[in-house]
Amino acid sequence: MDLTTNHFLFVSAALFVIGMMGVLTRRNILIIFMCVEMMVAAVGITLVAFSHETATINGQVFFLFALAVAAAESAVGLAIVVALSRQGRAPDVEEMQTLKN
Amino acid sequence: MGDQPIWITFIVTFAIMTVLLLSMAYTTWYERKVLARFQDRLGPTRTGKAGLMQPLADAVKLMGKEDLVPDAADRNVFLFAPLITFTTALLSAAVIPWGGTVQIFGTDVNLYPTDINVGALFILATGSIGVYGIILGGWSSGNRYSLLGAIRSAAQVISYELILGFSLVGIFIITGTMSLTDIMFKQHEMLSFGPFEISNWFVLTQPLGFVLFVIAAVAETNRAPFDLPEAESELVAGFMTEYSAMRFALYFLGEYISMIIMSLFAATLFLGGTSGPGADKFWGLGIMWLVLKVMAFLFFYIWLRATLPRFRFDQLMGLAWKVLLPLAILNIVVTAFFRLIGNGQVF
Amino acid sequence: MSWELVFFAVFSAAMLLCGLGVVAFENPVHSAVALVGSFINVAALFVMLGAEFLGVLQIIVYTGAVLVLVLFTIMLIDPTKLPEFYVGAPLQRFASVVVGAILLAEIGVAIITRTALEQIGPHTEAMVQQMGGNVQAIGQVMLSEYALAFEIASLVLTVGVVGAVVIGLPNRMVEPNTVTMSLGHTRGSSDMLAAGPKFESPMNIPAERYTAPVGERTVVMTKDPDAYTHPGETSK
Repeated sequence: MDLTTNHFLFVSAALFVIGMMGVLTRRNILIIFMCVEMMVAAVGITLVAFSHETATINGQVFFLFALAVAAAESAVGLAIVVALSRQGRAPDVEEMQTLKN
Repeated sequence: MGDQPIWITFIVTFAIMTVLLLSMAYTTWYERKVLARFQDRLGPTRTGKAGLMQPLADAVKLMGKEDLVPDAADRNVFLFAPLITFTTALLSAAVIPWGGTVQIFGTDVNLYPTDINVGALFILATGSIGVYGIILGGWSSGNRYSLLGAIRSAAQVISYELILGFSLVGIFIITGTMSLTDIMFKQHEMLSFGPFEISNWFVLTQPLGFVLFVIAAVAETNRAPFDLPEAESELVAGFMTEYSAMRFALYFLGEYISMIIMSLFAATLFLGGTSGPGADKFWGLGIMWLVLKVMAFLFFYIWLRATLPRFRFDQLMGLAWKVLLPLAILNIVVTAFFRLIGNGQVF
Repeated sequence: MSWELVFFAVFSAAMLLCGLGVVAFENPVHSAVALVGSFINVAALFVMLGAEFLGVLQIIVYTGAVLVLVLFTIMLIDPTKLPEFYVGAPLQRFASVVVGAILLAEIGVAIITRTALEQIGPHTEAMVQQMGGNVQAIGQVMLSEYALAFEIASLVLTVGVVGAVVIGLPNRMVEPNTVTMSLGHTRGSSDMLAAGPKFESPMNIPAERYTAPVGERTVVMTKDPDAYTHPGETSK
């Protein structure tokens, strides 16, 4: 049995589903945030696996851009959490229902 | 740089690990002796000749002590955290070359554990994992001094890691590679100015990068004057406050290992690594030159500690983001410009 | 069984276990540590796929910067507030497992029935070696073919940083809580202490004498060493 692209695809699908389950079940905004990062990494494995299979480097470049966007997203997301905690509110997604204050 | 059987790699790695661990123990002795001389003292003298057995005595003492876990601590994380710092510090040694391929007893031996394409980035990556030891150790102690030390350390190390990485970009632009072995051998070439001939060390072509690298390396290893995470006069001992016995020793030794690794890294990148008179004739001389450069760097570290007072935290962050980062970007732009001229793409 | 397969099994098992840990751990710090483990194994998989630059970058950017910031934020918010909202309603948990299983089965079928792509691109392993390695190959493609996307990515990062600074600026919406933390107490043993008295030093307040019920020891509540040695008398 040889190592094929399909192995990597299965593993990345499993990681993606785990991350999705985390997003659906947890209520802490930070954990949800971490699970989203996990899903991004899972997509990254898929991209790199396909780029390996087709012998193109484009998939890796795509993941580089995904990395940049994820970093920007994390900066904004964490700033929101810090702003919430300044107001003395817990970072709970079910409490954040209104846009104003 | 050919392939070699795996057992030779094991032997080389084992030798390097042994040398590193021994030299780590004796760096503590070296620091105490040099620091004592700076302060007009003698340092350790009682244990063995000139205190040479002092590291062994310290090790026995630290291993014999009780390993305490505070009640408020998060037990698993508390026990695990020192290991992260120690192992990641050791791991970086995997990509640092101690020479090229040499013949020992008729077999080709590579004097480096491995030569990967992204060697310089690998050291930065292990350094960035090593921060977790400090953050988790500080958090899990359940002590506010520790937590403050950990948060300071996180902010400091993230900022200075950026500068550490940026200061290397100039070298990557010049050499077109990130492999430490290739970078080192680029510096073995000689530059000639008429009758004079000097080695092409990158400290000559990248002086600004070198200065930035040294500052960032001192901050990255949490040494004075950037030792805010463990500032003993304000935070007791920072993130290490609650640690005792061997776990304390792991932090302590991890700091010394990362000092040695940073010195090796600086010597390889900027001071020509094993390059020196006679180094291309016999590989042993090359290793000797490397060790001398590392010792000079360690002396510089201790000199800083003996001389400079500690920074205030806002000064530290201001220095990183307002002074060093613009300088690093300037260095990159200027180097790239000269590279373009060298390629004949400008003028 | 090749060695490659063994390594792949170890890395991917560790990655998935750590991923489960992120979802299952009650304490957010434990979740973050599990995520670090997961990402290190993702980096290992990248290296196995011949993308060592991305592997190292994954560690530097994600575990070295993003997750450190996450841990930083977790430590800054009050830990006593966290465990109360561990997971959502049971229905939510059940639904997530069902949806997850369906999605996994769907992707699985898609993967099994797909036809493998031929090697069509120019970047075969030999070609990448000739270009000088993975880093050089990525650099050439990214800065020529995707130069515009590269510039846009830098713009996105700038906007993100400016947005983060604007959101994170203090005193924007409401008065911040004015509290001080006691450094002398271990975490959890003292609540957040209110800000100290603003007008009068506690040393100047006369000692209060608290008389315990008969048969117990007298407890002297004192703010002044003299009041302790001479109970009842208050030094001026």
